[in-house]
Amino acid sequence: MANGQPKPIFYVAVFLVILGLVGVAIWRFGAAGPGGGGGQFSSDELKQLAGNAGKAEKPDSSGITTVKEYNFVATAKLPEVKGISSYTPMIDRTVRFAINVWAGWGPIIYANNGFKPGRVWKTPGGKDFKLELVLIDDPVAMRDAFAAGNLHVGWATLDMVPLFLEGLRKDSRVMPRIYQQVDWSNGGDGIVVREAIKTMADLRGKTVVLAQNSPSHFFVLNALINGGVQPAEVDFKFTQDAFQAAAAFNADKRLAGAVSWAPDIYNLEKIKGNRLMVTTATANKLIADVWFARADFAKDNPDIMEGIVRGIFDAMQDLKAQDAKQKVAKLMATGYSVPESDALGMLGDAHSTNYAENRDFFLNQNNPTNFERTWNTAYFLYKKINAVTQQTPFDQVMDFSVIQKLGSEPKYASQKNEYDVQFAPTTAGAVGEKDEILTKTVVIHFFPNSWDLNKKITRTADGKDVEELYDPNVGFVVEEIGKLAGQYGAARIVIEGHTDSSMRGNAPKSVVQELSLNRANSVKEAMVRKFPSLQPNQFSTAGIGWDRPADPADPENHAKNRRVEIKVYPAESPTAAK
Amino acid sequence: MPSESRPPLFSIRVAPPRIVRQLLGAGAVAFVVILWWLATIGSSPEARFISPVILPSPREVIGSFSSLLNERALVQSIAATLKRVLIGFGLAIFFGVPLGILAGSWRIVEASAAPLALFGRNLPVAALIPLTILWFGIDETQKVMFIFVACVPFVYSAAVSAIAGVPDRYVETAQTLGASPLQIVSKVLVALALPDIYDSLRHLFGMAFGYIMLAELINAKYGLGYLLMTSQRRGLSEHIILILLIIGLLAFGIDRALFWLQRGLFPYRAVEE
Repeated sequence: MANGQPKPIFYVAVFLVILGLVGVAIWRFGAAGPGGGGGQFSSDELKQLAGNAGKAEKPDSSGITTVKEYNFVATAKLPEVKGISSYTPMIDRTVRFAINVWAGWGPIIYANNGFKPGRVWKTPGGKDFKLELVLIDDPVAMRDAFAAGNLHVGWATLDMVPLFLEGLRKDSRVMPRIYQQVDWSNGGDGIVVREAIKTMADLRGKTVVLAQNSPSHFFVLNALINGGVQPAEVDFKFTQDAFQAAAAFNADKRLAGAVSWAPDIYNLEKIKGNRLMVTTATANKLIADVWFARADFAKDNPDIMEGIVRGIFDAMQDLKAQDAKQKVAKLMATGYSVPESDALGMLGDAHSTNYAENRDFFLNQNNPTNFERTWNTAYFLYKKINAVTQQTPFDQVMDFSVIQKLGSEPKYASQKNEYDVQFAPTTAGAVGEKDEILTKTVVIHFFPNSWDLNKKITRTADGKDVEELYDPNVGFVVEEIGKLAGQYGAARIVIEGHTDSSMRGNAPKSVVQELSLNRANSVKEAMVRKFPSLQPNQFSTAGIGWDRPADPADPENHAKNRRVEIKVYPAESPTAAK
Repeated sequence: MPSESRPPLFSIRVAPPRIVRQLLGAGAVAFVVILWWLATIGSSPEARFISPVILPSPREVIGSFSSLLNERALVQSIAATLKRVLIGFGLAIFFGVPLGILAGSWRIVEASAAPLALFGRNLPVAALIPLTILWFGIDETQKVMFIFVACVPFVYSAAVSAIAGVPDRYVETAQTLGASPLQIVSKVLVALALPDIYDSLRHLFGMAFGYIMLAELINAKYGLGYLLMTSQRRGLSEHIILILLIIGLLAFGIDRALFWLQRGLFPYRAVEE
């Protein structure tokens, strides 16, 4: 629909497709029998799907399945606030709201007309309040001021909140309540390495410098673990903040990598011998900035919470205009003590997330990079390095009540997700000419000669025949790689199918390659089916057959060789576009 | 609590008897602990006068000792911190004291070094961190050199003033007896100044112990400063208080040991506690 005006026949076609799919779904559901989960394909269907993958576009069925929202009431899950509120009372109805030096705060700075309390904000009920933006860059100092009640609202990246909770969860009054995502880091964070380091796996045994327990830490741990490198295999050197990490990397040539922020990462990139391996422009749905209120404050002032959410969303819309950008750059320059041109440049480090993107983040269960999954990823990574003890469930801090409520207003409900990268179709060969950022190896046990991910077999247990998945891990694996694809939302992803070489000499190579390609395609299809927001064009598939054993030193390890590799490539490199 | 009806205790500049002194000290500690305990009792976290997020109770602090000791390698951290301080401060003594003796004895040396020493003493130490990273990297060298750079001006100045403080009459006596300049320095000036130098070093050691906390914020695998920082990052307020107590006890223990040594080394110079 290049001209944007669908013809009536289009609606008829869509209706028929939907009707057909619903029919198939009902039929499959009925046929699956007791205990059978949905989403099972026959191999014929799968063949059909796989056949479509090579073509430009498959019929778009996402209209009915993209969004699946939580159906619980946010406040029913949130922990009860006990005792008497212990925050410092507002003076002149002024909320103290902490921010750091970061592009994502542009909208609230704009809405507040600067840092000082001045502009009068309105609650939905029409009551006045003011906002004082308090600049505290050090997250620990911010958390402590928040805990002591000197701040009513704090800043964080969502991945940092689990670390905050280690202390805050002791008292129900200081538990964070997260109401809104303000941005995705989009180029603001990055990993710089020496030229010899081609992929994340090359960092094994090397030294990386970064600020501990920071978004940098989260970023690199996530990339390493997805790339098959355990944290213990890398020598981490910790500095106080990301700026010191950049300085140390610059001073000490023995350091193989540094995780830091803009503009330092781009300055380091310019130096000969360094290269920027990956930034959040590629991993564009990994680091989410949010604000959170003290639970006691939020309980006492729900109307103010809503007022802030509205004000930030409205400012995001205003900031689409160039003169508003100029104005906010001026305000940020004053508040952050940076030159105005730098402030303007900073705005590009983050993507402000509008209402539609927030709704997708907070409420959509089918979003591979939603709040819940980002939260769980942070816990998974921080547990690996023993930085957290017990896990607090995401719904103990996430309050989507305001986001949900605003959905009834056309002003917000009509907003569209503006953050999805549009991928042109390409082939695995074209994408693979550049070094990948990381390769995630997953093992899926396919039934011999089958590429059906949900192949069921019948086993006898306690004298009864039980039908179960040939590989019960399939759901988990698809979840894992879907999450990775979502986090690296601007990256090209190649799915490679590999087989073992047990039939070498007995089966023609072409058959094996076709089988491995079908397996790669079925993984892609399962992923796009589970996460309909992922674009099929982001993925390319390849059937490698038995050509590349997992471990060249042990080529006959059949179990290890029957695998799927997910390679993440930097977006739109010049070679990939050919 | 001090009893009020004993006038000698309140005489100006008269030291109370040893036992009274110790009782008063212990009483003050007990008073603080009781206040702390009272502020942190309550059936639920929210019912306490001070929230556990801000101040954990004495029982919680003591209860977290085993996790600090076993899970967070307290002993290795104490060893690492002591090692850094000892090496860095040792280097500062090795260079600072001879230089100070030289400068104290020949004032022309002192005159030329005076501006640098003044500059070194007045630098805010935290400001040296970025420079030591640039010069010495982020490994052990940086931590040791930070202590060295931060301490050497003070050690030097202490040595200078100790030498300069030796009364002229001793020097003159030696001269009348026909001593050479070298003999005067070694037999008179150094011999008489050494107790003072030692005393100053004992006090400066406490300072070095404080500085190491700053250096250990960067790339330390062990160290009390590192433990303190990670406890703060992770919101482990029980551990923060424990570590502060341990630092205090360590500093006290080291000071007492050095003091004891001082009395043995220089029995001819009485020192006050």
